[in-house]
Amino acid sequence: MTDTDKRVIRLDNVSKSFGNFQALKGVSFDINHGQKVVVCGPSGSGKSTMIRCINRLEEHDGGSITVNGVELTDDMANILAVRREVGMVFQQFNLFPHLTVLDNLTLGPMRSRGADKQQAQGTAMEYLERVRIPDQANKYPSQLSGGQQQRVAIARSLCMKPKIMLFDEPTSALDPEMIKEVLDVMIELAEEGMTMIVVTHEMGFAKTVADTMIFMDHGEIVEVAPPSEFFSSPRSERTQLFLSQILSH
Amino acid sequence: MIRKNKKPRLNWIDFAVISSVVGFLIFVVLRVDSVLNYSWNWNHVFPFVMYLDEDTGQWVSNLLLEGLIITLRLAVYGIIISAVIGVVMGLCRISSNLFLRMVARSYVELVRNTPPLVFIFIFYFFLSTQLMPLLGIDELARSDSPAVKTMIWILCGDPILFSNFVSGLICLSIFEGAYITEIVRAGIQSIPRGQWEAGRAIGLSRIDVMRYVILPQAVSKIAPPLANQFITLIKDSSIVSLISIQELTFMAVEVGVSTSRIFEVWILVAVMYFVICYSCVLFFNWLERRAARSKR
Amino acid sequence: MSVNRKALFRYWKVSQQSRVVATLQYLVFMASLVWVVVHGANQMGYQWQWYNIPEYFYKVFEGEIYPGRLIKGLGVTVDLTLWCVGFTLLTGLITALLRMSDSISGRWLSTIYLELVRNTPLLVQLYLFYFVFSPIFGIDRFWTGVICLTFYEGSFVAEIIRSGVQSVERGQWEAGDSIGLTRWDNYRYIVIPQAIPIMLPPLTGQIINLIKHSSIVSVIAVADLTTEGRNIIADTFMSFEIWFTVAGIYLVLTLSLSMFVTWLENRTRVRT
Repeated sequence: MTDTDKRVIRLDNVSKSFGNFQALKGVSFDINHGQKVVVCGPSGSGKSTMIRCINRLEEHDGGSITVNGVELTDDMANILAVRREVGMVFQQFNLFPHLTVLDNLTLGPMRSRGADKQQAQGTAMEYLERVRIPDQANKYPSQLSGGQQQRVAIARSLCMKPKIMLFDEPTSALDPEMIKEVLDVMIELAEEGMTMIVVTHEMGFAKTVADTMIFMDHGEIVEVAPPSEFFSSPRSERTQLFLSQILSH
Repeated sequence: MIRKNKKPRLNWIDFAVISSVVGFLIFVVLRVDSVLNYSWNWNHVFPFVMYLDEDTGQWVSNLLLEGLIITLRLAVYGIIISAVIGVVMGLCRISSNLFLRMVARSYVELVRNTPPLVFIFIFYFFLSTQLMPLLGIDELARSDSPAVKTMIWILCGDPILFSNFVSGLICLSIFEGAYITEIVRAGIQSIPRGQWEAGRAIGLSRIDVMRYVILPQAVSKIAPPLANQFITLIKDSSIVSLISIQELTFMAVEVGVSTSRIFEVWILVAVMYFVICYSCVLFFNWLERRAARSKR
Repeated sequence: MSVNRKALFRYWKVSQQSRVVATLQYLVFMASLVWVVVHGANQMGYQWQWYNIPEYFYKVFEGEIYPGRLIKGLGVTVDLTLWCVGFTLLTGLITALLRMSDSISGRWLSTIYLELVRNTPLLVQLYLFYFVFSPIFGIDRFWTGVICLTFYEGSFVAEIIRSGVQSVERGQWEAGDSIGLTRWDNYRYIVIPQAIPIMLPPLTGQIINLIKHSSIVSVIAVADLTTEGRNIIADTFMSFEIWFTVAGIYLVLTLSLSMFVTWLENRTRVRT
């Protein structure tokens, strides 16, 4: 395939255990530039662990992970290089409570990209406008609503100009009325062609955005399919069961 | 919390409490007056704090006030030195390097599990015979340079007692440093894991995450127990009187012996400590309330 | 699967290696510390007499074994500590109850007591008890020591008990009320059983502190472990040997208790 150069993430037989519990049992897949992948599955299936391995928040203990042509090893320089290319949005937002929104956004570019302050603030304001909260720039995270905090977190990742964005259940900690504002931002991002991996239970979002669905269970990838196929005629029984549970409410 | 809405009121407990306190006081007064025949003479003791010099018409500080000043010096310098030790050792305590962790852990456990008295005795003996000559403290104190002399006078008092003061200070600092180590460790570890992860995810190095994300947040958690440790330090500094550092407690023993106004001296000294420590408590509480208010 | 196992093994090997390296570094570091002390002592002509130490633990006289001076001192320390533990718990309990009671004077009294203890040094309290209260009440040294330490530690125990009781959620009280329990029944069946596991670890920690602080009674010449140590040094000038031995004895006492605390904490954590 000529796709080799378009491939940005490659997982090959990746495994990971916590003590006796095997969270990932030999997971393999490739993600191309611009691809939007939604990962779903029951809790404890290894979805979060998998994307946390991709920017090395967890250390995988078997197989290999290659991001942008760089293989993740213990080498700290490699890890930092990968993290600069990969943005991550957490379920619990993890904004820095002691910094203003603006400072949250400029810290990364200034420290790890060596941007100067003005430049960093300019970029930050640009992204705050994109997530539609430029007026909150000088507030502290605790003064914002959950939805606003999560949008700040997305903006914070974007400020690093990542090539890939990882989302770890970005809407699970939000009140229902705030979910839409976050998803809208994500949809916009997808339309601009960002490579995305999203762990989520929002199936409506998956249908609009995803070009690939991945279903995981017990640390394995059970099914990979385009959404049209995935939702209408899932092949595996486990997928069917999961979908019937999650779509029924 | 139990019955918050219930207003305190007088009941049978008050009756029991008040009668036992009054009974206790009456007993003490009777014993002191009739059995011990103790005659109070406060006027004899106050001049040891400060007295009015008839010739010059000025107030002059005396032994007890000088002792108090040494105590405060020990406390202020002590908290600075032990905070430095505490931060370094606290970082070692959570370091990924096992060797550093082991060293810091040994230090903390060793200090926390030996009685303060025994620790001070051992350390003082070791310090005064070996470390002091090594550091050249004595030469510094005996130095003829007037600049050095005035520095020592201003910072530490009489140069004759300088090396004595320094060894007491080092003993205390190393002792308190172990407790501050644990304060620092607990402060850093109280920052949720997510903060580390978010810092790493935007590409900061471990040191940068520590410096820009974790430490600024940990400081506000460390400050209240650190303030508390300062008060503890004022109190613990009384122990170095046993190795002849001439602070308040040491002076009190001297004055007590020389005047034999023992009751007055010890009550007065206890009150002095209480006033100092309690005003620190009130001050720190005020600071904390103010900080909480300004934090929105 | 095989890949995974290999990786696991590699990980294990690496961590094992670094552990060995760290332990070696640590041993070298400690050895050099010891060397510095020994070398320094030799430098100033210190005569090491470790061989003289055993006689302060035990003596054999006409075929019978008698305790040496350090063991006798240890006995006094333990004796003192045990008396204090009992009185301290009592003082702490009464103070905590007064503080949580509806009584105005009870709250006042306990607050004054707590603030007095917290804001004066233990040593000054000891001098105050020894020079002022013991002549007034005619108490001997040992009991002066017991009373002073009780007075001091009781304040900490009071706070431990109070926070233990208050850490039981408000909902528990309300639930007790709703099934018609009296206040005392609420304490007895609902609050105390839940508070005790919370209070046990800090209480044991306080006993450790008590052992350490008890060494301060050597200042008023109660014949405890520290006093015996000081006396032996005055007789023989074996400062280093005796102080290290005394510190070692305290260390064994307190470390074994603190291991017990750790074990307790782990156990209660697993259960909840």
